[in-house]
Amino acid sequence: MPLTAVIEARGLSKVFHTTVRRPGFAGALRSLVSPERVAKVAVQDVDFRVGRGELLALLGPNGAGKSTTIKMLTGILTPTSGEAVVAGVVPHRDRERNAHNIGAVFGQRTQLWWDLPARESFSILRDIYGVPEDQYRARIDEFDGLLELSEFWDTRVRHLSLGQRVRCDLAASLLHDPPVVFLDEPTIGMDVVVKEQVRRFLRHQVEERDRTVLLTTHDMTEVARLAERVVLINHGRIVLDGPLQEIRRRFGGTWQVRATLADPADVEEIERIEQRGEPALLPGTTGIGVLRREGPRVVFGPVGDDAPTVHEALKAVIARFQVTDLALEENDLEDVMRAAYLSDVPAQGATEEFAVQAASQGG
Amino acid sequence: MTTRTTMTAFLHSWRVAWRITRLNFKARLEYRGEFLLGIATGAIWQVSIIVFASVLLTRFPGLGGWSSTDVLLIASMRMLAHGLYVLFLGRVQYMNILVQEGIVDPCLIRPMPVYRQIQLNFFPVNAIGDLVVAVGLFVAALQRSSLDWTAGRIAYVVAGVIGGMLVEAALFTALAAAAFHFPATSYWSQWLEELMGTFGSYPLSILPKAVSAAFTFVVPLAFIAYFPAGVLTGHGGDMGVPEALAVASPLIGLAAFVLSRLLWNWSLGKYTGVNG
Repeated sequence: MPLTAVIEARGLSKVFHTTVRRPGFAGALRSLVSPERVAKVAVQDVDFRVGRGELLALLGPNGAGKSTTIKMLTGILTPTSGEAVVAGVVPHRDRERNAHNIGAVFGQRTQLWWDLPARESFSILRDIYGVPEDQYRARIDEFDGLLELSEFWDTRVRHLSLGQRVRCDLAASLLHDPPVVFLDEPTIGMDVVVKEQVRRFLRHQVEERDRTVLLTTHDMTEVARLAERVVLINHGRIVLDGPLQEIRRRFGGTWQVRATLADPADVEEIERIEQRGEPALLPGTTGIGVLRREGPRVVFGPVGDDAPTVHEALKAVIARFQVTDLALEENDLEDVMRAAYLSDVPAQGATEEFAVQAASQGG
Repeated sequence: MTTRTTMTAFLHSWRVAWRITRLNFKARLEYRGEFLLGIATGAIWQVSIIVFASVLLTRFPGLGGWSSTDVLLIASMRMLAHGLYVLFLGRVQYMNILVQEGIVDPCLIRPMPVYRQIQLNFFPVNAIGDLVVAVGLFVAALQRSSLDWTAGRIAYVVAGVIGGMLVEAALFTALAAAAFHFPATSYWSQWLEELMGTFGSYPLSILPKAVSAAFTFVVPLAFIAYFPAGVLTGHGGDMGVPEALAVASPLIGLAAFVLSRLLWNWSLGKYTGVNG
């Protein structure tokens, strides 16, 4: 856990009130006379902290509450309950002070002036934020070097491609040198080359500029390349907060290490383990089991909740046996995330109903 | 904060607003056809008033006890107030569209008041047309006027026009406050604009008492030009309200605008965003 939290969400919740339309014409008339109001919980009891210079990926399926969480942390939305503190400021309470501390990119919508060339939007933002001219120039040069903006920054924003526009949005969000950056799907609609460019840019911002970045994305390669830590959110609640391996461990435990053992003594040992019956755990390790064996060819796989990652398992197997051939198989991150999104694993500190369910599942 | 820093901050914010306006203007200028059409639209919009004014001046001796020159002063003051409103504060009328397009969200994370950012969203080219016609009509009204234009009267006519602008802005700002939550306010907004264009330019004393009362206390368009023009032309006592109330029109405009802004801010606090 980082020492100083730059972004802090404490019991953050957001409830939207909407009117439900009843079906049919009669239903529509009834709704007109007595509308049925429902409360939709978009985000519930979200707690997490992001330290200085840390990049955190907020993951979750569509409608999980990621954007609502970001909107509360940026001050666009006022939380129904709980508190957000970003760089020492409660965003919705002190919007202007907060604005100087944060930069934000919402990939799906631009914040640039639609009818102006991107470069003129930059100069408007320079004026709004009061950025000194020399710093402004230096930053523009730096962003141009990293994102190749000068190729298209004299084009009106409405004529830019999505990838070009989002790159301009990224530069615009950092012109005032904010210590905290929120990025909601920043690589949406980009080709692989540009995506890579943006990832390099983001890594640069975190590593060289020490910025704190909170990112949402559906691109798992991005998560693997950028995020040290992920927060998985589903149905408005936090399901998991930890390193990416943690997600693999919890939801993608289906790795396999296939080894061909060189020493017949080892093969015999495996045979003995198998005879002991299920689960055929490898002694001296936690969570590594023998799944199958054909002569000297053994397939190891994860067993139980404490199963290690495929890399840890690989190390353990190599350390213990002499092998002539080795192969590993792992679910790719997309599969892991699919499993994570579909699962109903409750958050810590969830409501009783969820807690009971958790207990019965032994989780 | 000392007076000096307050002053610097104030000047800075005006300079920023001016720069953004210039860029917005430039952006509109680049679409030449659209730009000229915009000016023409603004002017054509007011044509019915011009037709009315010329018929009034050439065919009738007056209207409801008002001489035709006095009526012309109402019409021209209203048009001037309207043109200034469109120029400085008219973007609130597009609030429902700006909310739908998600323009409000980025405004909330920039260090500038959201209302000002909304006003600086684009340059209202049609205001140029409005104002050209308005100034022309106003000059015509002044030329025909037999009033002695003392410094006091000049100051009052300026205050009256600004007050009128603020009344119009207050009405649309109040509607815009609702637009945060109900996109259908655009119909109300059109209706209101229509209403002000139709009834704002005449002496309301020609209308039934209930109607003129409604235009004073419900949709207070009497304060835009009718009352200030009446005070200037000596109709102060026969406008159906205490003269002091009519005289106070510019202050009432200011008060209405401040109230509408408070309502708007309150509504912004309840903003729940789009796609949220």
